[in-house]
Amino acid sequence: MSEPSIHYFARFGVTERMLHDTLAAALSRGGDHADVFLQHRVTSDVGLEDKAVNRAHAGVDLGAGVRVVKGDQTGYGFTEDLSPAALIECARTAAAIADGPSRDAPFRFHLGEPLPRRYPLLRPWEEVGPEEKLPILSGLAERAFAADPRVRKVSVYLRDESGAILVADSSGRIVEDAQPMTLLGLSVVAEDGVRREQNGYNVAGRAGFEFYTPERLERVVREAVARTAILFEAVPPPAGEMPVVLGAGSSGILLHEAIGHGMEADFARKGVSIYADRIGKKVAAPFVNVVDDATPEGARGAINVDDEGNRAGTTRLVENGVLSTFLHDSISARHYGVAPTGNGRRESYRHPPLPRMRATYMLPGPHRTEEIVRSVKRGVFCSNFANGQVQIGAGDFSFYVKNGWLIEDGKLTRPVKDVNIIGNGPKVLERIDMVSDDLAIDEGGWTCGKDGQSVPVSQGMPTVRVSSMTVGGRGP
Amino acid sequence: MTLLEVTRAAADLALRKGAGEVAAGGYRARHVELGWRDGNVEKVSEATTRGLGLDLYVDGRYASVSTSDLRPEALERFVENAVALARRLEPDKHRRLPEPELYRGQPDVDLDLEDPHAALDASERRRQAEALEAAARSVPGAERILSVTTGVSDTRSESALVHTNGFEGTRRATDFWIGAEVSVRDPDGRRPEESGASGARHRSALEAPESVGRRAAERALARIGAVKGESGAVPMIVENRVAARLVGLLLGPLAAASLQQKRSWLEGRLGERVGSEALDIADDPLLPRGFGSRRYDGEGMAARRFPVFEQGVLRAYYVDTYYGRKLGRAPTTARASNLTWRLGPRSLEGLVADAGEALLVTGFLGGNSNGTTGDFSLGLRGFRVRGGRIAEPVGEMNVSGNHAELWTRLRAVGNDPYPYSAMRTPSLLFDGVQLAGR
Repeated sequence: MSEPSIHYFARFGVTERMLHDTLAAALSRGGDHADVFLQHRVTSDVGLEDKAVNRAHAGVDLGAGVRVVKGDQTGYGFTEDLSPAALIECARTAAAIADGPSRDAPFRFHLGEPLPRRYPLLRPWEEVGPEEKLPILSGLAERAFAADPRVRKVSVYLRDESGAILVADSSGRIVEDAQPMTLLGLSVVAEDGVRREQNGYNVAGRAGFEFYTPERLERVVREAVARTAILFEAVPPPAGEMPVVLGAGSSGILLHEAIGHGMEADFARKGVSIYADRIGKKVAAPFVNVVDDATPEGARGAINVDDEGNRAGTTRLVENGVLSTFLHDSISARHYGVAPTGNGRRESYRHPPLPRMRATYMLPGPHRTEEIVRSVKRGVFCSNFANGQVQIGAGDFSFYVKNGWLIEDGKLTRPVKDVNIIGNGPKVLERIDMVSDDLAIDEGGWTCGKDGQSVPVSQGMPTVRVSSMTVGGRGP
Repeated sequence: MTLLEVTRAAADLALRKGAGEVAAGGYRARHVELGWRDGNVEKVSEATTRGLGLDLYVDGRYASVSTSDLRPEALERFVENAVALARRLEPDKHRRLPEPELYRGQPDVDLDLEDPHAALDASERRRQAEALEAAARSVPGAERILSVTTGVSDTRSESALVHTNGFEGTRRATDFWIGAEVSVRDPDGRRPEESGASGARHRSALEAPESVGRRAAERALARIGAVKGESGAVPMIVENRVAARLVGLLLGPLAAASLQQKRSWLEGRLGERVGSEALDIADDPLLPRGFGSRRYDGEGMAARRFPVFEQGVLRAYYVDTYYGRKLGRAPTTARASNLTWRLGPRSLEGLVADAGEALLVTGFLGGNSNGTTGDFSLGLRGFRVRGGRIAEPVGEMNVSGNHAELWTRLRAVGNDPYPYSAMRTPSLLFDGVQLAGR
C-alpha cells in the first residue's frame, strides 16, 4: 500500500486532516461504516441544428456526499461547499442515522489496491479544443444530407465528460478514479412528399477523442439514415401474443428490464423483487447465461471501481439457466454476508450509492441466427429500441421497439415500427428457447434510471427467440 | 450575499469577460427526507444545494454554462472559457435575450407558493412515516403485505433570474410530499407493488397520512391475481393519476422546437379540430399554490393564462422566444405551467358505469410515442370493467394507436383533476382503442 499522493487531494482542495475531521463527525454517533465521496465532473456539449454548429454548453459539478451506514440504514448529506466547516456540518447530518457512542475515524489514509485500466485514453478531453470537435458535427450533417435526398432536417450533438471521484472511508481506504465519457448522437427527419419520419443513432463510450474513428462516424451516418428511411415502408405489426426474435446487440434491454433490476439486491433484501427467493433455482434453459460486467474496455457501462470504492468485476446473474448472484452494494453484501460485487453506483455526490447495473448481456448460445428466424411461422424481429421499464415485484416489463421486421414463414418480410412489447420477467426467461452465437455489446448511449438517479449502462445480446410475448400492434 | 446578488454578480462577471448579453439564473434549495421501511428508519438525508446557470450571447453567438462550483477563481476561469468557446461557434441571428416588452405586465397576484411555517422536525417526520405504514397495514387483507416503504420529505427552494437587458426576478417556494409503496404476495409468486402519494405547496394542505397509506395498500392488494386481458378494440378509461402520461405525449409535439425541426404531427394544425369536444385545456400559470405556478417563465416573460385546446380545437403552441423567431411566431411560453381542464360532471365511478364494457388503466409501463407521426404504443395494467363495474385486475397488455385518432375518441373527462401534479389531469374515457393482450 502506498501513501496517497498530494495529487489526489489537490483536485478537490481537501487534506487528509479534513477527511479525518469529516469522518469523525460522521461517526460521532457510531455506525458500522462511513464514507466521503468527492466528485468533480466537467461536461462539454456542442450541437448542430439547421446546418450550423451554433450552440454549446459547459457544466461543472463539484461537491461531496457523506454517508453513515448502520445495518441496512443510511444517513446522507451532501454539499457543494468543500470548506472544512461545511463538510463537518454535512457529516453531522448523516450521523443522525445512528444513536450510539462515537467511533474513532482514521487519521492516516492508504490507497486501495491498484485499479484496472478499463478506459485508457489516448486523447483526453481536456486536450481537445473546439477546432477539433466542430468539424465532426458539420461533416456528419453534410454526409447525412448527401446520403438520402429525402433528408430534411439533421441535428447532431457531441458530449464529453472528464472528471474524478475520490472515496475515503472509515477503514482509512482511499480510492480515486478518473471517469471519462463521450456521447455522439445524430437525428434525422426525412420526407417523401406524403409522410415524414424521424429516427437517429447514437454511440457512447468511456473514451477520449480517439473514439471517433472514421469507421465509427461513417456508421453513425449510415445507421441514422437507414433507420429513418426504412420507416417509410414500415407498418405497425399485428396485436397480440406471438414469438419474438431479438436481434444481437441492443436487445440486451430485455435482460436489463426482465431480470437485471429484479436482481439488484436492495430489492431482494427488502423482499420486494420477484426474484427475492429464487437464488439457486432454475429460471431458464441451460444454455442461458447472463452477466453484469464492469470490465468491457471502453464501454459506457464499464467501471474500474464502484462509487463505494469496491472492486468491480463480472457478476453472473444466471449461470446455465440457474439464478446465481444478486448485484450488491456494500449494504446488501453485509446483509447477505457476501462480498460486494462492485455494483454500488450513484449519479453524483448528491445521491447515496445503490445496487446498479453496469454492462448487462447474455453469453453466446448453441443456435444459429438463420435457424432462429427460420423457426418462426409468424412473429416479430426486433432490431432497435428506444426505452424500457419494469415493475420489479409484479415482474411485468416492457420495451419499445423503434425498428423491426415482421417474420412470416421463417422470413423477414415487412419492416415494422413504433411498437411496445410487454412480458413478465420470469415467464419470458423460461420462454427463451433459442440463443445464437452472435453476441454483440451495443455501442449506444444507454442510461438507466432508478430512485431518481441516472447512471450510464451498456447492454448486449446474441440473437434470441422468446416463444411468446405480447406485441402492442394494431389489428389482427 | 442574497441569491439575487450572487446571480447579478455572475451576470456582471460574464459581461466583463466579453459577453454582450447574459441571462443568469441562480438557485438554492434545502431538501430533507425520511425514508421508512417495515418499522425502521431506512434513510435520512438532508442537504442544501446550490448552483448557477448562464446563457451567454457573444458576438451573435450562443453558449450556456451551469456549475455548482462557485469558488470565485474557478467561476471566473469557467466563464472566461465559456465565452471563448462561444466565439468559436457559428453565428445564430435568432439567439438573443427576449424583447424587454415581454417582461412587462406580470400579474400582481400572490401565488402563495411558500409555506411560512417551519419545516417538520425529525420526530414529526417520523410520526408521519409511521402513520403511513400503520395505515397500510390496517387494511383488510394486510396479512399478504410483504413490505411497506414510506417517505416524508420537504423542500424549500429559492431562485433568481437576471437578464442584462432589464429583467430581474426572484421566487421562493416550498414542497411537501408524503408517500407509501406497498408490496404484496400473490399466491402465484408475483409480488405486485403499488403506491400512494400526496404533495402540496403548504404542509397543511397535505392529505392525511392515514388515507395515503391505506390507498397504497388497497391498490397493491387489488393487483393480486392479475391476468392478461384479451386483445381487441374496447373503450378505455384512464385513471386521473396516470392520465398525465398520455397528456404529456400530446403536449410534446406542441413545442416550437418540435414544430421548427419538423418533428410534430401537430404542425400546421392551429385552429383545427384535433380532438373531440371534451378536449378542452388551458395553460394556467396563475393558480394559487399550483405546482406549475409562476408569475414569469424561465425566460422572464410575464405569465398569462391561455387556451391550448378549446372543444377539441388547437388554440396555441408552446413557443419560446428562440424557436418563435425561427418560425416567425409570437412567443407564448416554452413549457406548460399548470393545466386547467373543462371538467365533466362524472366521477371515475361514473365514467366506469357509463363505459359498461371497458378497460380501466391504473398504470402505464414503458412504451413511447413518435411525436413526428403521432404513433404511440404503451404497456399498461388496470382492471376489466364489466357491466359498468370494476372487475378483475389485468396486466401485461399494450395500448397502441395514433394521437390524431385517439383524441377524437375522447368521449368524456371526469370531474376529478389529480391534485398532486401540475397537469391536473382528470380521468379520461376513450372509445374504441386497440389493446393487445392474449
